[in-house]
Amino acid sequence: MQTELHEACVLHRRSYRESSLLVELFSAKHGRVGAVAKGVTRRGNPLAALLQPFRPLLAAWSTRRSELVTLAQVEAAGEPFVFSGRTALCAFYLNELLLRALPRNDAHPELFARYRAALGRLAAEPAAAEPTLRIFEKHLLQTAGYGVILDSDADTARPVEPERLYRYVPGHGPTAVRDGGAAPEAGIAISGATLLALNREQLTAPLHRAEAKRLLRVLLRLHLGDKPLHSRAWFDEY
Amino acid sequence: MSEAALLDQLIQALRCLPGVGPKTAQRMAFHLLERDREGGRRLSETLLAAIQRVGHCEQCRNFSETPLCTLCASPRRDRALLCVVESPADVSAIEQSADYRGLYFVLMGRMSPLDGIRPEDIGIDRLAERLDRGEVQEVILATGTTVEGEATAHYIAQIAHRRNLRATRIAHGVPLGGELGYVDGGTLSHAIAARREL
Repeated sequence: MQTELHEACVLHRRSYRESSLLVELFSAKHGRVGAVAKGVTRRGNPLAALLQPFRPLLAAWSTRRSELVTLAQVEAAGEPFVFSGRTALCAFYLNELLLRALPRNDAHPELFARYRAALGRLAAEPAAAEPTLRIFEKHLLQTAGYGVILDSDADTARPVEPERLYRYVPGHGPTAVRDGGAAPEAGIAISGATLLALNREQLTAPLHRAEAKRLLRVLLRLHLGDKPLHSRAWFDEY
Repeated sequence: MSEAALLDQLIQALRCLPGVGPKTAQRMAFHLLERDREGGRRLSETLLAAIQRVGHCEQCRNFSETPLCTLCASPRRDRALLCVVESPADVSAIEQSADYRGLYFVLMGRMSPLDGIRPEDIGIDRLAERLDRGEVQEVILATGTTVEGEATAHYIAQIAHRRNLRATRIAHGVPLGGELGYVDGGTLSHAIAARREL
C-alpha cells in the first residue's frame, strides 16, 4: 500500500547497504517513520540533496509488513532552513529530542506543526534560540501525553500566582510553598512568574529562562531516560 | 575441523565486506576456490600485508605506509594551502581531477551530533595543532554538502578564524553540461547566491 504525498521532515539519515539511505522521517500524518531510500546515494541522484534534515518535504512511501517503509516519492516543499554554528546544534537537538521521545508510527500532527514553527523561529531569530527550545520541549512533553501543569496549584487547584514560590513535583504538578510552614522537600523550586511565563510562552526574562530550563530538563530526563542527549552535551562545551 | 568447516569460515569471513551478504559471500568463495586460486592467494597475502603495514599519516591522517604520506612529504606541494576533506576517497577525487597543489587533512568522518561523533573523534585537535604551527595560511573546507558536512565546515572555520587564518568553502553550483531545469532548488539557490562577475 502506498501513502499519498504529504508533509515530512528528515530527522536523521545514515548509509544503508551500497547506495541506499535509512532515513528517520517525521511526518505530519504518520509521526516518526523509518524509511529506506533505495539507491539515492548513486551519482547524479537528486534525492540525496533533498533527503536532509531541516528541509520541508513532501513524501510518499509504500508500507510493507516490516517496521520500515520504502520511500516512493520525495519532493521539496520549500526552502531548507539554514543554521550555522550553535544554532545548528540547537536544530539537531530538536531532532534528537523527537528521535528519543517518539515511538515510530505514532501520529502527532500538532507537534509536527510546532516542530516546523520552531525550526522557522530558530532560523529567523538565532539570538532567541533558548526560549524557542524551551517552548518546544514543553509542547513535546504535552503532546507525548506527559502533561505539564503550569497554571494551577496541583493541591488546591487555585490559579498560580506570579509572586509566590512553588515546588514542581514531576507527575503531580506545582504546589505553593507556604510561608512559615515547613518547606516540602520534594520537587523543583520554581517561581510562579516562571510557570506563567512558560505557560504564555513568553520567556524573555533571564531568570524565567533559567528556571524553565531546569524544570524541563528534569521532566525530560524522567521521560527520555538517563542516557545523555548528544547534542546537548556538545552544546554545553561548544 | 572438516573441509566444509573451513569453507564455511571463508564465507563467514567474506561477509565482513560492505554490501556482501551470505549469497554473494558464497559466490565469491566458490569463485576463488574453483577458478582463481592464484588470485585468492595474492588477495590473502596483500590483505595481510596491508593490514599490518598501512597506518595513518601523522600529518594528514590519510592512509599511509610511511609515517608521512607521499603527498605530505613531497617538496613540490604548497604548504600554505590546506584542504580539509571527510575521507581518503575525497583526496583521490581531488587529486585526479582538480588542479590543486596544496596539502590535505583527512577527517575520516564528519561531526554528527545525533551519532555522537564529536570534534575530537575526527581529529580536530590534531588539525588545530597543525594550524598553530604557522605554515598554513588558508584552510579550504571541502567537507560534504550535507547538513553535518556544513556544520563541520563552520566549526573548523571558527578554529581558523581564531588564528587569523583565511577559511574558504568550496563552491556549490550547477554541474558542467547540466541544464538548469534539472538542478535541485538548493543547488540553484547556492549557485545564484555565489554568482561571479564575468
